[in-house]
Amino acid sequence: MDALSSLGGNRPRLSPRARTWLLLSPALAVIVVLFLGGVFFGIIQSLNYLPLIGQYDLNLDAYAQMLADPAFGPSLILSVWIAFAATFLSAVLAIAASLFLRQTSVGRRLGTYLFQLNLAIPHIVGAVAMLLLLSQSGLISRLTHAVGLTPDTSSFPAIVNDRWGVAIIAEYVWKEVPFIGVVVLAALAGGTRDYEDLARTLGAGWRQRFRHVILPFIAPGVLSTSIIVFAFSFAAYEVPFLLGQPYPATLSVLAYLSYTNVDLNARSEAQAINVVIALIVIVLTVVYLRLSNRYVRTER
Amino acid sequence: MSADSLALVARKADRPRRRLRDGLGFGTLMLALALPLVPVAVWSISATWFFPDVVPTRFSTRSWEYVLSPDAKVIPAFLTSLTIALAVSVIAGLIGLSAGRALGLHSFRGKRIVYFLVLAPEIVPPLTVAMGNQVAFIKLGLADTILGVILVQLVPTIPYVTLVMSAVYSNYDLNYEDQARVLGASPLRAFFHVTLPAVFPGLVVAALFAFLIAWSEYIMTLLIGGGVVKTLPLLLFSFATSDLSIASALCLLCILPAIVILVLSSRYLSGGRANIGGFGRL
Amino acid sequence: MSVQVNLAELSKVYPKTETPSVDRVSLSIEAGSLFALLGPSGCGKTTTLKMIAGLLDPTAGEITFDGRSVVRIPPERRNAAMVFQKPLLFPHMTIGENVAFGLRMKHVERGVIRERVGKMLDLVRLPGVENRRPGELSGGQEQRVSLARALVTSPAVLLLDEPLSQLDANLRIEMRDLIRQIQAELGVTTIFVTHDQEEAVMLADRIALMLDGRLMQVDTPASFYERPSSIAVARFFGARNFIPGRVSGSRFQSSVAEFEVAHPAPPDGTILTIRQEAIALGPGPNAFTATVRRSMYLGTMLRVWVDTGGVEVEFTAAPGDQFPEGSEVTLRFPPEHVWVVPAAEPDA
Repeated sequence: MDALSSLGGNRPRLSPRARTWLLLSPALAVIVVLFLGGVFFGIIQSLNYLPLIGQYDLNLDAYAQMLADPAFGPSLILSVWIAFAATFLSAVLAIAASLFLRQTSVGRRLGTYLFQLNLAIPHIVGAVAMLLLLSQSGLISRLTHAVGLTPDTSSFPAIVNDRWGVAIIAEYVWKEVPFIGVVVLAALAGGTRDYEDLARTLGAGWRQRFRHVILPFIAPGVLSTSIIVFAFSFAAYEVPFLLGQPYPATLSVLAYLSYTNVDLNARSEAQAINVVIALIVIVLTVVYLRLSNRYVRTER
Repeated sequence: MSADSLALVARKADRPRRRLRDGLGFGTLMLALALPLVPVAVWSISATWFFPDVVPTRFSTRSWEYVLSPDAKVIPAFLTSLTIALAVSVIAGLIGLSAGRALGLHSFRGKRIVYFLVLAPEIVPPLTVAMGNQVAFIKLGLADTILGVILVQLVPTIPYVTLVMSAVYSNYDLNYEDQARVLGASPLRAFFHVTLPAVFPGLVVAALFAFLIAWSEYIMTLLIGGGVVKTLPLLLFSFATSDLSIASALCLLCILPAIVILVLSSRYLSGGRANIGGFGRL
Repeated sequence: MSVQVNLAELSKVYPKTETPSVDRVSLSIEAGSLFALLGPSGCGKTTTLKMIAGLLDPTAGEITFDGRSVVRIPPERRNAAMVFQKPLLFPHMTIGENVAFGLRMKHVERGVIRERVGKMLDLVRLPGVENRRPGELSGGQEQRVSLARALVTSPAVLLLDEPLSQLDANLRIEMRDLIRQIQAELGVTTIFVTHDQEEAVMLADRIALMLDGRLMQVDTPASFYERPSSIAVARFFGARNFIPGRVSGSRFQSSVAEFEVAHPAPPDGTILTIRQEAIALGPGPNAFTATVRRSMYLGTMLRVWVDTGGVEVEFTAAPGDQFPEGSEVTLRFPPEHVWVVPAAEPDA
């Protein structure tokens, strides 16, 4: 035989399409079975199909129940508020911090390193940390007391277990600024300097440079991380449970409490809340994708 | 001339002032990043620390003794967390490596759908997925088992590794493999000797962060593990509402592997785009 | 609108380095002229250009536009527009928006902007591309847009940082023509940086050659070929014949021959140089014999190397000539083409 047959043997080759799907199959298997499956079961349970207790209906009672629940409205508002506030603050602070850090190479490296270190800290730890820091008997309160600002614990503002979720937002901001920051620093490191120099020689001052050169460059990274931050802070459970009030609780806490209610019927309401959470998050993601396609053209 | 004087930027005179401003900025940033951990560290070694004391009145190593004692539940929980996280990162790493190659290098019909399928678990909250799966897992006997927890934690981690590897692969020049093939390497050997080393840094980063995601996971473990599978976050959660000193010690214990991992992988992290799309959830 | 640019003892020293990147450079660039900063990479020419633009602060020295010091004025107010090596068109804007950028920064009225952008794009021979996007144009077209973007602001000084180095040979010739034509038409003081001496000679009214941060010679293009001020300069411009010896009256004594020198030789001159193309064959003043070592056929000419008096000499001949190895040949150095230079570079 010719020399070519020594390459790769004589086994029948898979078609490229077959190869592609073969490579994808383990991942798709997990996603379809465990993810889509979980979502599917959640949906049908929200429609009151609960074979575990012998219920084989399919109706929207659980949704009606959920909407009638006096806790639902405040929970929804609280979740939305926390998510927007956390996302907005994190994005703004991350951009500011990154712009500050990138001026020196020491700053860039140290900043990136510290940011990454913070990323490794689980949210639960962050929640405990915020508890110990921000509660009325926490470290900050003790410091303000030491300098004479707050004579006792109740004069320190109640920001843990409060109506506005301040401590919750603080924990999210503390964790997400580094997350967004790393991405912004990476985008800035990719060489906006030349464009900025160019813009300067064309007469652009600082604010104009930020708007026309820097912002378009970091926009894709900021947008994509912001949507992740929003999705997370909207639906997270651990942090609001530790740092929030039982009423109003965030939607995720409400869902969990309904789910673990002794009354098994509350399960379908819990799943209904779940579906609502997932829907809101998905809709916002789609909106983001549309926005980014229109606004962002620089990505490879 | 006066217009120029107005436009003057006294740049050389600014230098010491600028350095002060830089220093303050750095200080503030580092303080903000480190401050929340300070009370945690101090609480873990305090015996009595009531308001308004800024420093504990009595220190003790009680919490640490408890944490490290063989009778307590801490060490088993630590090991359980470690086992689960390692399993998840290895499995997600392998599966993501394979799927990432397809997504990053191949073009095929239905690619957009696959892409959305891979992206969706990153967006939809783990609470929803775990709650939906719980009944099924019970039926399949996977509830309250480590295997069950591992399986459900593959849902947020596999997509993440896939997306990162997809980006890594799309930057990879397939000609390298072709080059190896014409030099006599079989497809498998070409992959192992040429491609794998090239994509390895990205894989390491992705797998390590999959580890971190699994390590920090709480609600999924709670719902599927049923409280029977006790991981470190679960333990931490229960102490957070009862004994703050022990909870603080557990916090530090919880951070430890993560810091170790980050230090080790910082080599791979620097340079190039930050492929960290899943960390909001950490 | 265009200004005279003067540099006085301009220096740039980076911290932690011993040698300055730019060492006491003094230049005077006439208003409306096309001036080249020439030198190999790392010689400090781009650093100098960036200091003129205001993107870098000098460590010492002065920069003036029409006599007014600009050192303390930030780049956005200096009215010194710059074109970089890469076009750097803002990816998220159309071509028209890119070109309009500088005018937008000055808050020029929109109708006026539109008109000026159109005219400028016509000038760079890209009419009607306002609505296209950067990715749709070729590299050469993008560089022309970059040029239009700089020019539309009617800058006092136009700075070009190796604008042609990324283009292939044919495009480069086209762009050179365009730059020269536009510069002549608009009369804007233009300073451009290049490492290609052919390009500098082709475009510039005057050239400043920089080596290792120091200014070696500032002169008209022809002078660099005919009157190099040192070996380094001669070598940069492609001279390859350097014969050591010493000046004696109006003659130069060397191991090859005693040469008659037409141009006054500097007393410390110890190197005789003559360009390969200037060497003639046959008897006459400054003739000597040499042995042929080798020759190389280059299509349009023949390059020949000979040995004589322990020195190698290179000359060019017509492509059809024959110079067999080992044969004897008589060469002469016409006195008017012979230059004596000092061995070391002159100190500033």
